[in-house]
Parts: sequence; C-alpha cells; structure tokens
Amino acid sequence: MSDAFVVVSEASKAFVGVQALDRVNLSVGRGQIHALLGENGAGKSTLIKILTGVHQPDAGEVRLDGRPVRFRNPREAIGAGIGAVHQERNLITRFSIAENITLENPPRRFGMFDAAAAANATAKWLKLLGLELNPGTPVVRLSVAQMQLVEIAKALSLESRFLVLDEPTSSLTPHETRALFTVLRRLAQDGVAILFVSHKLEEVFELCSHVTVLRDGRNACASQPLAGLTRGDIVRLMIGREEAVFAAAPPASLGAAPALELRGVATALGHRDISLAVRGGEILGLYGLVGAGRSELARAVIGAARITGGEVLVQGRRARIRDVTAAVRRFGIGYVSEDRKGEGLILQLSVATNIAAAIWHRLARLLGFLTRRMQDAAATPFVRALDIRTPSLAQRVANLSGGNQQKVSVAKWLAAKSRILIVDEPTVGIDIRSKAFLHELLLRLARDGTAVLLISSDMPELIALADRIAVMKEFQVIDSFDNTRDYAAASARIMQAIHG
Amino acid sequence: MKGLLRTDWIGLLVLVLAGGAALAAARPEFLTAYNIDVILVSFCLTVVYALGQGVMIAIGHMNLALGATGCLVAVAFGGVLEVWHLPLALAIGFGLLLGVACGFVNGWLTYRTGLTSFIITLATLSIFKGAALGITQAQPFYGIPAAVKAFGSDRWGPLPEMLLVALPIVIVIAVFFGRMVVGRQLLAYGGNPHAAELSGIPASRVVILAHTLSGVLAAVAGMLSVARLQNATPSIGDEWLIASFAAPVIGGAVLTGGHLPVIGTCLGVLVVALINQALVMLAVDPFYVQVLLGLLILGAVGLNRLREVRLGTAPAVRLS
Repeated sequence: MSDAFVVVSEASKAFVGVQALDRVNLSVGRGQIHALLGENGAGKSTLIKILTGVHQPDAGEVRLDGRPVRFRNPREAIGAGIGAVHQERNLITRFSIAENITLENPPRRFGMFDAAAAANATAKWLKLLGLELNPGTPVVRLSVAQMQLVEIAKALSLESRFLVLDEPTSSLTPHETRALFTVLRRLAQDGVAILFVSHKLEEVFELCSHVTVLRDGRNACASQPLAGLTRGDIVRLMIGREEAVFAAAPPASLGAAPALELRGVATALGHRDISLAVRGGEILGLYGLVGAGRSELARAVIGAARITGGEVLVQGRRARIRDVTAAVRRFGIGYVSEDRKGEGLILQLSVATNIAAAIWHRLARLLGFLTRRMQDAAATPFVRALDIRTPSLAQRVANLSGGNQQKVSVAKWLAAKSRILIVDEPTVGIDIRSKAFLHELLLRLARDGTAVLLISSDMPELIALADRIAVMKEFQVIDSFDNTRDYAAASARIMQAIHG
Repeated sequence: MKGLLRTDWIGLLVLVLAGGAALAAARPEFLTAYNIDVILVSFCLTVVYALGQGVMIAIGHMNLALGATGCLVAVAFGGVLEVWHLPLALAIGFGLLLGVACGFVNGWLTYRTGLTSFIITLATLSIFKGAALGITQAQPFYGIPAAVKAFGSDRWGPLPEMLLVALPIVIVIAVFFGRMVVGRQLLAYGGNPHAAELSGIPASRVVILAHTLSGVLAAVAGMLSVARLQNATPSIGDEWLIASFAAPVIGGAVLTGGHLPVIGTCLGVLVVALINQALVMLAVDPFYVQVLLGLLILGAVGLNRLREVRLGTAPAVRLS
C-alpha cells in the first residue's frame, strides 16, 4: 500500500558533549501522515534538521525514494522536494506575505521579483488554509496565528513530496487547526509523505496513521502503526513512566484585598472597561481566542503599554505603573512572556544570569558591582527547587530544552519575590513531564500566597488550574465566573460566552 | 494618503524643504548658484559612499573600511594614471577591480571566520589605509588627466557632471533592493539570517556579495573624490565614516538589517549637506558641525522609531 519514501537508518549526531541522536530509525511511506513524538530534548529537532539539510548525520544514512541522499544545506533538501515548517518563526517580517511564501523560488521576470505573479501563486494556498488576507500585506502586521499559517502555506507552496511540520499548530485555534488537517489529509491522498510533530496528542490521534517516538536521542519506537496504541501507551513511550495526574484543591485562605485589581481599565492598545481582580492565593485564568487582547492586557499592566482610563490597584492601593522596572521593583509584578525565546529569556547568557537578571540591582547594591559567585548563590536555590535540568549554572539557556527554559523564566520571578505573577501561555511547546511540573509549580506558588494571572489557550490546563475564569473577546472581558473544575460545565460556559 | 504616510521618507522630504526654505528666508544668499552647486557636488559624492554603507546595513553588517577602501582605490587610480600612464578606461577598470577585491576580502573573511564585520573591517581599515599611505608616502598624486579633472569641475547648466555617475548608481541600487531577486535575498538575509538560510538562500553568497558591492561603491566614491579634488591625496575617505552611517540612518535604515531606504538615504545625504552648508553660512565653528550631526542622528532614529510604533510595525517596547 504505502511504500517507504523516506527512510532514516541508524542515524547518529553529536554536538559538543551531547549525543543528540543515537542510531535512530524512521520510515515514512508515500501518503502516510507519520507522527514524530518525544519530549523536548529527545532529538526530534535534530532529526528534522538532518532531513532538511541543516545538519549532516555523523553516522547512518537517509534514503529518499530508495536512493541515499546527503544534503549539505537546506537548499539541496528543498531541491530534493522536502518542505518544512520549523518550530521557530522563520519569516522576513518586512516582506509581504507573497514574497515570504515564494522566498525559496521567487517568480522572476528579467531577474526582477514579479510581485503580481507571486500574489497569484500565493492566493491559492492562503485560501486553502482559510486565510483571508491580501498577499501584499507585510507580515509584520499579522497576528502570531496568521504568521504560523503563512509559514505553513510557504511549505505547502513548494508542493514537496515530503513535508515536515514541526509543531505547526502551536498558535492555531481549533478552527484553523481543522482547516490545516483537511489540507494535510488531501495531500496525503495525493501521495505526499508527511512527518508531523506535535505536543498535542489529541491531534496526533486524530491525524496520524503511524508513529515514531524518540526518548533521549534513541528510538522508543520506530514507525509503528498508531492503531491499537492508547494515549497512555504513547505517554509511557515518551517519558518512560505514567503521566502524572493531579487534582487541584480549592484555595484554603485568600488575601482580604485583591493583590491586583483593574477597575474599568482602558488602554492605548484598545482595551475598554476591563475589570478584574486576583487575590493572593488564587489563580485567575484568562481565556480567549488568539487576538482577544490578553497578552496585550498583561503588557499594559506591567507598564509596557499606556493605560488611558480606569484605575489599577496593587495590594489595595492605587498604582501608577509607569514602566516595567517599576512593575518589577516597586509593585512586585513578574511577567512570564508568551514569547519565551524572544522576550522571556536572554538565550545567549547563562542559567544563573537569566535567573538573577531581575534582582541584579538588589544583589549589587552593597558594592555596586556583581560577582559571578553572588549571582550563582542567588540562582542555586531556584535551580534546585524547580528541578531545572542543566549541566551547570554557567550553561547557556539556548542549550536547554523548552521545558527547562520555561522553568528558568519562572525562576527569575521567584528570585525577584514577585507577589503577583502574570504567566502567559506557560506550556506552549513544552513536553508532558515539564508541563505537569509547571502546573504543580503554579498551583504551589498560588497556595503559598502569590496572586497568579494565568493566560492560556489550553482549555484543559486552564480549567484544571484556575480558581476563577475570565473570558476575553475583542479586548473586553465578556464573562467571568468561579471555576468548579468541572470540565464539561466550564468549557461549555466559555464557548457560550465566545460564540453564543 | 495613508500609503504616502507609511513611506519612510515623506517626513524627511518635508524637513529638507522646510529647512531649505527657512535658510533661504534667513539668508537670501543661500539660494545663489554657488551654494546650490556646493550642496549638489557634495551630494554626488556622499550618496555613493552612503549607499556603500547602506548595502552593509541592509544585511545587518557594517563596513568600517569604507573610507580606507575609497582611499586605497583613489591613490591607486591616481598612481596608475601618473606613474604607469595607463589609459583612463583601464585605470577606472583597475580602480573598480581593486574595490571588488577589497570588498571580497572583507566578505570572505567575515563569512569564513564567523566574526562580526565590525572586527574584520576594523582590521582591513588599518591594512588598506596603511597600504595607501605606504604607496604614496603620504604625498598626493597630481598627474591626473584633464578629462578626469574636467569631469569633477564641469557643469551642465546648474548641475555637476558627477551626477552622471551618482544618479544611475542611486537608481540601480533602488531597483536592486526594491525589485531584483538577488537584492531581495540580501534583504531577506538581513531581516532574518536563519530564516533566509532555511529558505535556501546561502549565507556565503549574501555576505560576500554585499561586502563586494560595498567595496565597489567605495571605489567609485574614491575615484569621484579624485575628480572633485583634482588630485589623488591619501586623506580621501578620512571623513566618510560618520556621514556614511548618518545618511542611511536618518533615512530610516535599521542597523540590525533587513531594510535599505534608498530615497531616504538620498534625503539623509541632503540633510547632512544642507546642515553643513547652513552652519558655514551662519558662521558656526566647524567643529560644532559634528556635534549637530550626532544630535541629528539621534533625533532621526528617535523619530523613525516613534513612527514605527505608531503604525504598529514595531513592538512598542522590548521586554526584559
């Protein structure tokens, strides 16, 4: 039925001191949608980079349509008919949608970029994914979800025989995801081989027919049919044990006055009449579709965007938060950004530096300068408490897995003793084990007295963690209610608020 | 109207016109043919090397050796004319080739070593400049053919003949970055090097090509300087550095790369020339001209940023 189109056999790859892949096998047939699973750091990205010509294997081989291939660079992989959506954002933001999509192979007339031809070629793919946008729009004006769809359109437009999708749905709404799946199924019917990476197991079961699981750079299973496997089986393969389940108990005691309260707040970003309150000890969940203005609200609260009306109260007192420094130092507000790599962390610096960055002013106050030892001493307890897996405090954050990076961004605010923590999409693109850990951590922080504002598009996560839920739509709060942690009831109420 | 407001250069154009008008009102002698000529001649030369830096800024690199390259080419050009009596066309070809070579070396070293262009061109700045001084023993070549001198001093009505070189270069660069696929690939690389590579745009080609182009433009500016000064003196290029950054930046370029506003750069060059001229006329101490130029760069960058934030094409604040 489906003969093997892409075969990786016994591929190994080591980076300085780390064996990223150890004799890994993978076989994807024509017309097959094949899931590649594993926790962050299991070697998925390395395998993908070998398939797309970014890295070359140290040992083993890759066969494409029966012939051994060895791509020296991405260009050769593209030439061989391999298209990819990488996990990180790969768009040229100043360029138009059309020019981004045709970047691999721009239509040209006499050496000139032919914008009209590019727009024509692009329109079809945008429509296929349900993106109603003018192909001439610069990418910088798109939302995160739209950008992700543009990247997918870009990969599709290559009309590749083998398509690699690394977390393509991480910022998409369920509706957009469904449109994508329809397209992928059609491509598979036409004989395209698809490798699909996702942390959302529901998606994998819905879409894929075969699965390869990596754990610590090795095959936990190779190219098995997905039929007959359960979610539990997959999780066991991924983490080598059962998935931890926890039940959040309601808060025992709450602070009298809200730690953070917004009264009729309007912002320069377009929020109107926002009223919210979070008390110490509880988690307020903020739900909304992408573009509802949740992250933007967080930015306004921490002083990164102007508040134009209403009032903000911190610990019961009126607060004018002029800038981020004031939010952090005077008002004790920490913000774990949705854009972990771009905003939350300084990737090129060490674990210790990242954790201590928000308290440098406190550490350095005595002598006015900072030693590495002081910084390490300040960071160590949090590395322990949060079980951050790093070879040393001096390790660059860029070299940690996504889950550990997220722990570092939370640790930073713990070190800063934030009384109010705003956490924006904390578990996007994070492996199951770290996700469970982060959930427990947020809950523990709240119960220890921190006021947590949790922004999440992951409804199960939100309903499991939040004590109260507020729903946003079009830069307004349209509903808020106490969460009984009854998934059916809470999710129904949220959907009713947004779509009803 | 909205589209016009979104362009980088509209505010600058207003600034240039208003500045010119204000100056003309304050000092009627500003509008004399002589003054306009000084500004135009300065424009012809400056715009060439400003674009030479602009090409580098477009890919997020910089060329500190721009002036040294111009200097080396200028004295080599003067040298082969005076000492070897090379025909003019060959001498120009030689100068351009030397520019290509200097730029290629910068690009190749930057790519191969993985060091920043700042360090590489800082080193080659010293090498090129030293070579130019060594060749000439710090003495100018005066044996410049009449044709070259005439090109530097002749006028076509009110316009300097040097515009015949400067204008086509502006147009070619504008088309190159605005429309040509290769130019767009350079901008793509400047905007996001990683993404460009994953899209099959080879970094080696982009980096070497941009540096080479920068070298060629420096060479052209070097030879234009010879025509304008009527001799090949090894001090050519010494004062290029600040203006080469100022003009593109005033014009709206971002130093991280991905954007080269050609019209903006031209207006930036005009702003710099206008200010120089204004301060001469108002008898301001020439040393303070540099202070003002620095302030202008700061002001221009601030304004551009404000505009981007307002239009939502840049994040309002960078967090953490």
